[in-house]
Amino acid sequence: MLSPFKRALRRVPGLTPGTRSLHRHLLLWLLLPQLVLWLAAAFVTYNVAERHANKAIDASLTTATRALARQVKPIGNGLFIDFPRAAQDIIEADPDDRVYYMVSTPPGQFILGNKQLPAPPPIANPKLGEPYFYDGTMGERAKPISVRVAALYLSYGEEGRPQRMLVQIARSRASREQLAGQILIDTALPLSALMVLMSMIVWAGIRAGLAPLSRMRALVEDRAPNDLAPIELEAAPQEVRALAKAINSLLAEVQESVSSQKRFISDAAHQLRTPLAGLKSQTELALNETSDPALKTRLQRVNESATRSAHLVNQLLTLARAEPESATEQGRARFDLRKLAAEVSAEMVPRARSAGIDLGFDGDDDASAVTVMGHAFLLREALINLIDNALRYAGRGSVVTVRVAPKDAQAIVEVEDNGPGLAEADRERVLQRFVRATHEGNGCGLGLAIVKEIVGRHAGAVMLEATQPRGLRAVIRLPRAA
Amino acid sequence: MKLLLAEDDAILADALSASLRKAGFEVEVAANGAVAEYLLLRQNFDLGVLDLGLPLVDGLTVLKRVRAARPTMPMMVLTALDGLDDRVAGLNAGADDYLTKPFDFPELEARIRALLRRTRIGGGPVQQMGRLSFDRDARRAAIGSDVVELSPREWMLLDRLLAQRDKVVTKDQIAESWAVDRSESNPGSIEVYIHRLRRKLDGSGLAIRTVRGLGYLLESET
Repeated sequence: MLSPFKRALRRVPGLTPGTRSLHRHLLLWLLLPQLVLWLAAAFVTYNVAERHANKAIDASLTTATRALARQVKPIGNGLFIDFPRAAQDIIEADPDDRVYYMVSTPPGQFILGNKQLPAPPPIANPKLGEPYFYDGTMGERAKPISVRVAALYLSYGEEGRPQRMLVQIARSRASREQLAGQILIDTALPLSALMVLMSMIVWAGIRAGLAPLSRMRALVEDRAPNDLAPIELEAAPQEVRALAKAINSLLAEVQESVSSQKRFISDAAHQLRTPLAGLKSQTELALNETSDPALKTRLQRVNESATRSAHLVNQLLTLARAEPESATEQGRARFDLRKLAAEVSAEMVPRARSAGIDLGFDGDDDASAVTVMGHAFLLREALINLIDNALRYAGRGSVVTVRVAPKDAQAIVEVEDNGPGLAEADRERVLQRFVRATHEGNGCGLGLAIVKEIVGRHAGAVMLEATQPRGLRAVIRLPRAA
Repeated sequence: MKLLLAEDDAILADALSASLRKAGFEVEVAANGAVAEYLLLRQNFDLGVLDLGLPLVDGLTVLKRVRAARPTMPMMVLTALDGLDDRVAGLNAGADDYLTKPFDFPELEARIRALLRRTRIGGGPVQQMGRLSFDRDARRAAIGSDVVELSPREWMLLDRLLAQRDKVVTKDQIAESWAVDRSESNPGSIEVYIHRLRRKLDGSGLAIRTVRGLGYLLESET
């Protein structure tokens, strides 16, 4: 059960991965805070830098103001200003870092300097000899210059009739902003580099952390749809192991359900055999005992039907056995495919003879073994079905030849007949279950499906080819064992 | 020839016993394992035909107990189970042959006769096929009343072909059966012996067919 809090969290968009990639989700959640931190750091750095730059500039402005103030000397009721032209030039020299000054005797009596300097904020009773700092703009309206101004109030005059003098020095803020900007860049650059490095480390970390998930995905993706064996993960973190465990228990349940269904089919098919045997035996007996030709024909049909049902039951059971759930890796062994094919062919000869078909095996007596690895009893069924198919459909008087040969890393079995063959459109189709290309004969449409299933289980392939001038060749390719 | 048929399916048992009687056997039917075991151990049967899925005592158990008491009695198993494991279990329990339901009656009859031939102590009686009579005891073959002279290898070859009549005898099997015999110093190829035997079987109504790439097969000429 999820707590209401967790459920509420789930509803926040972007908080849970949803359908997004876990990689991207984690990356986002690790890098987004970093970006915020980076922005905050940049902001704070800029402000701190600006404050320090202001302090330095304010200090220099103070010095300059005092120095200028010293040059102003009261003489009687007037002021004597000893400010040589050279000094003025030096102060106003740097065009990028202009310094402006103004000496006045408030209220509003201009004495010396640049009249455009912004007035200090009105202060009721300014302290004398203490510099005040403020920001302002000056210059033409179209192109205002932002300045930092230091204002110093001084008193002069005689006792009892004091007069105030205001000395202002302004400096363009350009230099100050430049300084702060420089400090910001100097701090932000290494910070950014650090962040990129951090992101790379985080990315690598996420990849490494999620690698077990990718491995698990590969394990699940690569398996055959009917492979229900548990997932085996070595050295996986706890969370992934828990997931694998959950999947495994599901797989086990599916496996159990599949095999119980298979068992049921198998049991049902087995149960059908005894009554079918009874039906067949009774029919055969009746056929023997009657001399009525009409009845004989009917009984013959019943017998055929029983035979066909019996064949179907057998094929169903073979198919069930051929499916991977029924037999494990146990029972796999190396064996000579040529020998097996010769044995099977020999066993089928009596049937071929009664069907008027010349069944033969193409191979030297002392040809070398063609070794494959697998379930011999299943491959035997596959071969029986291929030959059985040829005997069923090639027709009386035809020639069926079985051939086994190694080719590169493959073992090739061919069953070739010179019967009517199969239309190209049918050659792929007849490999499916219950698909028949003809309505003749007693086939049940499972033979080639069984072959395909069995050969598929042995990592092989089966295909049907036309032969010249007529006929069909069924080819099985299997990997050879070393 | 007296057979015991142990089969619990009444319809199948009825048809089989009728067919077997028609084929000339004396047949006793047991409907469950306990009766089958009792009869097999108390009476003298030439052969037992056992279904594995019997009530009361299952077929495998009956088979094991009878096998313990009568080691030489031929036992044929009929079963609805045909998995590899089932087959191995049946043969391990002592079955001489194994036939899966449903089957054709001629197949069952042929197997029963083959089993009786194979397990008969002393090689069995004179085998008759077509006009050929083959007396293993007297080591004498004849077509009609004419004795056919056979060399030891020809005899072994014909013996093998007859034992597996209508079935393929591979060249390996022929070579195998010859391996014990050293009487003919320069035996020649199998083809030469087949050729000679064919000539000697002329008029017997039997034919040795060559099966491409596999071996030979003896059948009645039609």
